[in-house]
Amino acid sequence: MDDFVIETKQLTKVYGEQTVVNSVDIHVKKGRIYGLLGRNGAGKTTIMKMILGLTPITSGEVFVFGKNIKGQEKRIYPRIGAIIETPEFYPNLTGTENLEIFAKLRGTSAPNAIKNALEIVGLPYKDKKLFSKYSLGMKQRLGIANAILHDPELLILDEPTNGLDPIGIAEVREFIKSLSIEQGKTILISSHILSEISLLADDIGIIDHGVLLEESSMEELKKKNGKYILLQVSDVPKASLILERQFHLKDYSVHDEQTLRIYDTSLNMAEVNKALVVQDVAVISSQLCNNTLEEYFKKITGGEGIA
Amino acid sequence: MLELIKIEFLKLRRRKLIWIMLLSALIMPFLTMLLFKYRGQTGVDPIQFYKWSAFGYNIFIILPVALGILCSMLIHEENQHDMLRQLWIVPVSKMRFFFSKFFVVLIYSVIFMLITAIASAFFSIVPGYVTFEWKSILYLLERCLEIGVITSFAMLPIMAIAVSKKGYILPVCVTLVYAFCSFILMPVNMYLHPLCSMAGIIMRNKDIPGLTFAQTINVPLAFLCICVWDIIAVLLAKITLERK
Repeated sequence: MDDFVIETKQLTKVYGEQTVVNSVDIHVKKGRIYGLLGRNGAGKTTIMKMILGLTPITSGEVFVFGKNIKGQEKRIYPRIGAIIETPEFYPNLTGTENLEIFAKLRGTSAPNAIKNALEIVGLPYKDKKLFSKYSLGMKQRLGIANAILHDPELLILDEPTNGLDPIGIAEVREFIKSLSIEQGKTILISSHILSEISLLADDIGIIDHGVLLEESSMEELKKKNGKYILLQVSDVPKASLILERQFHLKDYSVHDEQTLRIYDTSLNMAEVNKALVVQDVAVISSQLCNNTLEEYFKKITGGEGIA
Repeated sequence: MLELIKIEFLKLRRRKLIWIMLLSALIMPFLTMLLFKYRGQTGVDPIQFYKWSAFGYNIFIILPVALGILCSMLIHEENQHDMLRQLWIVPVSKMRFFFSKFFVVLIYSVIFMLITAIASAFFSIVPGYVTFEWKSILYLLERCLEIGVITSFAMLPIMAIAVSKKGYILPVCVTLVYAFCSFILMPVNMYLHPLCSMAGIIMRNKDIPGLTFAQTINVPLAFLCICVWDIIAVLLAKITLERK
């Protein structure tokens, strides 16, 4: 357990009759970026809220820094920086004044903590602009500045690039990476954008309808799911029947009227071609293809995919 | 706790309405001056003047309504914009958060009544309706401080309602009902409503002329009434904040 900065055990959240998080076990390793990927409403934010004690846990346990958070909040939370959804601050105060409040609440003693945090996210120090006049992107940046203000060991970032322009997204991505690589911080980040997670995360958890479908390192995932056989035939139903009866194949999908995708690349294609031709199914083409991560996610989430 | 109270005041920067509301402390002293000018009285008993300027509508209507609005304003923005979760992550203790707001109300209430006291003295002595006496000034200050402190405790139920509701309309409406209920309940039973009980405590010596009470003044019972309401308010706030 000590290897994991965050570990959840059978974490479940039920609202009324709806189970929004169902027995989720996630394992966030020290010094790594863990990407929680799922469509909107998949349960990512609820998991983060449960870790941060912002919503009661229906059942299951959360361990942070090896300790069960229940009853340990005062010891654990000061070591965490977090953004949940779009961060809100006092609208009648400037960004610097808002951070001054949070620095005082946390007892942050570093003299330049506010200035440094604002510089990192690219916001001006001692600016006169009130928070109520901030754009969504500026609010998000201020939220990140607040999360890193007290130099926490663990960052929990719920869709931190929401509302940022493309340059801002790239800047925040680089900044998050540098926090992990240079300062060894552990980061749990959620997103519904696959490309964002694939560019950032070292480990990934895929969540759909409250269920953690897969958890592995990004490296493993890329290795494991990169290839498939694209088979074009004259009669797809007949070809499917042959593949299932003769080769006991189940891991394939019908793409269109002439195309099949076979995900088991260890299949002997010479024998498959021969069997199809013998049984009057013309093979138009047969080729080995590399799958994209997006296609893979589409497959495991039941075809709905992730943006 | 002191740091939390300081932070609460930092949050009030540029909230002009809160400071403008303090001007309402001048309403009754000014109207009393006009009343005495209309009557053409001079050399009146200072307590007679202060009864109108500081101990009348101020303690039943103006101060409770001002404090009710303040309670709503202190909590509304954090509630409305879901900012509380930012505070809970820090983490800030929920009850310390509640009591820091209460102390702001208490300080505001004391300042409000001190302004009333100064204005009462100014509008009574400068135009010559009352002759200057240290004794009556100190009496006024003492009573105003008492009113300031006890009224803030009497307003805790409104603060608990403000914490439990996202909007500010309901707490403000409840404040108005709460203040007017004190008028209705005063002749019936002054130990049912905290504001009535507060009035009983303030007028315990029966040294304010022209005021009569339907019941005998029982100071411990008046404090008990305020305490019971405050305990219920704190429990309500605790339950509500635990859910947030």
